[in-house]
Amino acid sequence: MDKEHEIVVTSRIRLARNLKNYKFPVKMTGEESNEIIDAVNNAIKDKDLNFKLTYMRDLTDVEKFVFIEKHFISPALSENKNNGAFLLSADDKISIMINEEDHIRIQTLGYGMCLNECWEQATKVDDMLEEHLDYAFDKELGYIASCPTNIGTGMRASVMLHLPALSMTNQMDRILFGISQLGIAVRGVYGEGTKSMGHLFQISNQGTLGATEETLIEKISQIVMQIVQKEQITREQFRKNNFDDIEDQIHRAYGILTNARSICSDEAMKLLSYVKLGKEMGIMSKVDNKNLYGLMVEVQPNNILSNANEQLNLKERDKIRAEIIRNKLLG
Amino acid sequence: MLCNECGKNEATVHLTHIINGKKSENHLCEECAKKNQQMFNSTFTIENVFSEMLNNAFNKSGYTPTKGCTTCGMTYDQFRKIGKFGCPDCIETFKTKLMPVVKSIQGYDVHVGKIPKRAGGNYKLKKDIEKLKDELKLMVEQEEYEKAAELRDKIRNLEKGI
Repeated sequence: MDKEHEIVVTSRIRLARNLKNYKFPVKMTGEESNEIIDAVNNAIKDKDLNFKLTYMRDLTDVEKFVFIEKHFISPALSENKNNGAFLLSADDKISIMINEEDHIRIQTLGYGMCLNECWEQATKVDDMLEEHLDYAFDKELGYIASCPTNIGTGMRASVMLHLPALSMTNQMDRILFGISQLGIAVRGVYGEGTKSMGHLFQISNQGTLGATEETLIEKISQIVMQIVQKEQITREQFRKNNFDDIEDQIHRAYGILTNARSICSDEAMKLLSYVKLGKEMGIMSKVDNKNLYGLMVEVQPNNILSNANEQLNLKERDKIRAEIIRNKLLG
Repeated sequence: MLCNECGKNEATVHLTHIINGKKSENHLCEECAKKNQQMFNSTFTIENVFSEMLNNAFNKSGYTPTKGCTTCGMTYDQFRKIGKFGCPDCIETFKTKLMPVVKSIQGYDVHVGKIPKRAGGNYKLKKDIEKLKDELKLMVEQEEYEKAAELRDKIRNLEKGI
C-alpha cells in the first residue's frame, strides 16, 4: 500500500439525474414514486452488475443507519420512509438511490484515490439507465436537479481524507478556510452538517455548472494531492522533532483500545486514528495487517446495534464496542 | 439521576451551557438528548444560503407574479422558501429570477459537461462536431494535413446525421 492510499481513505462520485414528465420527490405521489422505482429497477436489472433493490419501508431504523454509516445511502434518502428505495451492486461499490432529493442518484465508491475510476463507472451506469429512461436535460443548464445548486453536471466528487498530523498541529482550520476559497466544500464524515470524527474529513466540489466532469475531478485531485503532501510533511516533522511524544501517544492509544472495557464512539474514533497514524509511520508494526478504517466503520453506533440481538442502551453499546476493538486488535 | 426533561429515564447526557458567563447544567436521557440535538443542528449550508439569496432576489424586485408552475403547482412563494424545484418544468417557470442567483452561487450559467445521448438529441452531435472542428483547425495550423483530412471526413459524416 503506498503512502497516498493511506491518507486518502475513499473516493466517491455522485450523479444527480431526474426523469422528464415526473414531478420531483417533494411534489410526488406514492404512485408516481413507485413508477419511478420500477422504471429504474427495470432499466438496470438485466445488467451483469447484479443490483439488489431495497425499499426504505422494509428497513428498520437501525438497518437504515447501518447503510448510512457504510455510505451506501444518504440520511435524506432514509427520511423518505414511504417512497425511497435504493439499488446496490453485488460488490457494494455502486448504489443508485431512488426518490432521494432527486429521482435518481448514482453513487460509485472506491478505496484510495480513484475519482477517475469512480467517474468512469458512474457514467457507464448513467448511460445504461439512459438507454431506458428519459432524462430531464436543458441545453443551457445541463442536467436538471431538484436543487439549483446541483444543476449542470449534477456531479459531486468527494474524497475522504485521514489527516491526524494536520489536525493534531491545529492546521486544519487554516487549510479548510483556504480550500473553501477555491470552490471546494468540506463536509462531515456523513455528509452535510455532520461533524468530523477520527480526524476524517470529506472534501468535494461545491459548483456543478460551467466545468466538465473531468475538469472538476482534476481540480479536486490537485487540491487533494497538496493536502496529502502537507500531511506527509507534518508526519515527517513529527518524526524529526517530536518522535518520543508521538510514539508515546500512539502506544497509549493502543494501550487503551486493547484494554478498555467500555468506550464511546468519539473516543474510539480518536484513538483508532492515532493507531492508524502509528501504523503508517511504521511505529506500530503490531497492527500492520489490520484494517483500521474498516474498524472505524464497524464501531459506529448503529452498526453495533444491528449486530446485537437485543435492544442496547448506551452503556451496553460502549461495552460491546470495547470488546469488538479488543478482539480485532488482539485477535 | 433522572432526566430533567421527561423525569422518567436515567440521565446519561450532561450538558453545560455558559451564556454571558452564567453557567447552567442540564441532565438528559438519551431520548430527550436526541430531541435537543436537533436544535444544535441548524447548519450553514450552501442550500440554506441559496434559499436566502433567492428570497432576497424575489423580494427586491417588488414583482409578484400571480401564477407559478403549471405542471406541478409550485408557487413563487413556495419556491423561494424551500429553494428547490417541484418538477423539471419549474426551471422554465422561474428562470428569469433564478438565473442571476444561480450564476452568483455557481459562478457560471452554462453547462459544458456531459450531454446525454437521448435527452441531448442533436445537441450532443452538434457539440461533438464543434469539438472536431476545433481539432481540425489546430491540425491545419500545425500542417498535419493527413490528420486534418481524417477529421474533415469525420465531421462530414456526423453532419449527415443532423
